[in-house]
Amino acid sequence: MKLTKREFLLSSGIEGETLELWLEHSWLIPEQTAAGPAFSELDAARARLIIELRDNIGANEAGIDVILHLVDQLNGMRWALRQVGQTMAGQPVRDVDQRDLP
Amino acid sequence: MARPRRLDAQLSERALKSPYEVLGVPPTASVSAIQSAYRTLAKKLHPDLNPGDKTAEERFKEVAAAYDLLSDAEKRKRFDNGEIDASGAEKPQQRYYRDYASADQNHPYADTSGFGDFAEGDDPFAELFRRSQRSRANRRGDDLHYRLAIDFSDSIAGASKRLTLPDGGTLEVKIPAGLVDGQTIRLRGKGAPGIGEGGPGDALIQIDVLPDPRFTRDGDDILLELPVSLSEAVLGGKVRVPTPTGDVTMSVPKGSNTGTTLRLKGKGAPRRGGGHGDELVRLKIVLPRGEDPELTAFVSGWPKGKQFNPREENAS
Repeated sequence: MKLTKREFLLSSGIEGETLELWLEHSWLIPEQTAAGPAFSELDAARARLIIELRDNIGANEAGIDVILHLVDQLNGMRWALRQVGQTMAGQPVRDVDQRDLP
Repeated sequence: MARPRRLDAQLSERALKSPYEVLGVPPTASVSAIQSAYRTLAKKLHPDLNPGDKTAEERFKEVAAAYDLLSDAEKRKRFDNGEIDASGAEKPQQRYYRDYASADQNHPYADTSGFGDFAEGDDPFAELFRRSQRSRANRRGDDLHYRLAIDFSDSIAGASKRLTLPDGGTLEVKIPAGLVDGQTIRLRGKGAPGIGEGGPGDALIQIDVLPDPRFTRDGDDILLELPVSLSEAVLGGKVRVPTPTGDVTMSVPKGSNTGTTLRLKGKGAPRRGGGHGDELVRLKIVLPRGEDPELTAFVSGWPKGKQFNPREENAS
């Protein structure tokens, strides 16, 4: 289920100004609809991570920028590795048919 | 039989560490000490910074619950007074960013730049990677296999060959210098067409190097047996030697023998990482065909030739 901007601010507990800053940094990229931005559960989970980094881990703005970039790469890597694993499991090595040229 | 109540209570007490123990702070710790202890642990244990580490996740849950209780002055007071225990502090299960972000890569934060270089290589892993990146609905075309025979000299010097396909089409095949017999060349995208956005497969061309009666390959070096006359061997002289890249002139040193091996530097196959192997020329003395009275007369009148026994020399 998607949240409107108002619902998102309420559930995440962040200020409107803070959200604007995060959008500016592209830390959050909500879907754009005719009715305004729509926030997914993924966006909400990402916002929780940013809050955690800022409030409890003590990362500053530059630090959060770097951490998000690395976390995204790490998740991409984990996804890709799983794909490779599935490809390996699903596609046994097969003998190739060779074609002799005339 | 039911367990005595007191033992049950003891067990659950033991399983439940006090939130102070979890954070590693004394019960007298200040608010800032508790916060700093939590930050230190969160840095190490946060599930989004340790995706895939189950132990870290369990520890983090414990730590977060302890911090939740102790960072709230009211809850902390009630805990200290024994009004509540640590078990009430557990937060409702929350999903972490990684649960969404690594499930698929169809989201705006997806970043595959971390392995872009993996997919560019020519090794089997890169091939597997490319294959896995394409979605299942978009099936990649099959790889097509061909064979191509080339001359030995082309395998050393490199060449460009045209392969005629069974359907009448042609493929331009670049033979890299130094290729070995049986090596396969992959022409990306020259295989069977794919389905959807799967893209075509590759053409895999196995190269057969035709043997050359003169040359033998030994790694990066090329071996050649060169016939020389008796006078060239005894007196020395310049001789013409074939190499895969054309003939060269070579000096045969005075007093050479059958088996003497001479090195033509850099006339072998290209080496991985630069440079070339050598051509090793093994001399073989060949006497003139037919009987030569002059040679017979000379050898008959040459006492040392009769005294010398090369088999004895070999035996010692």
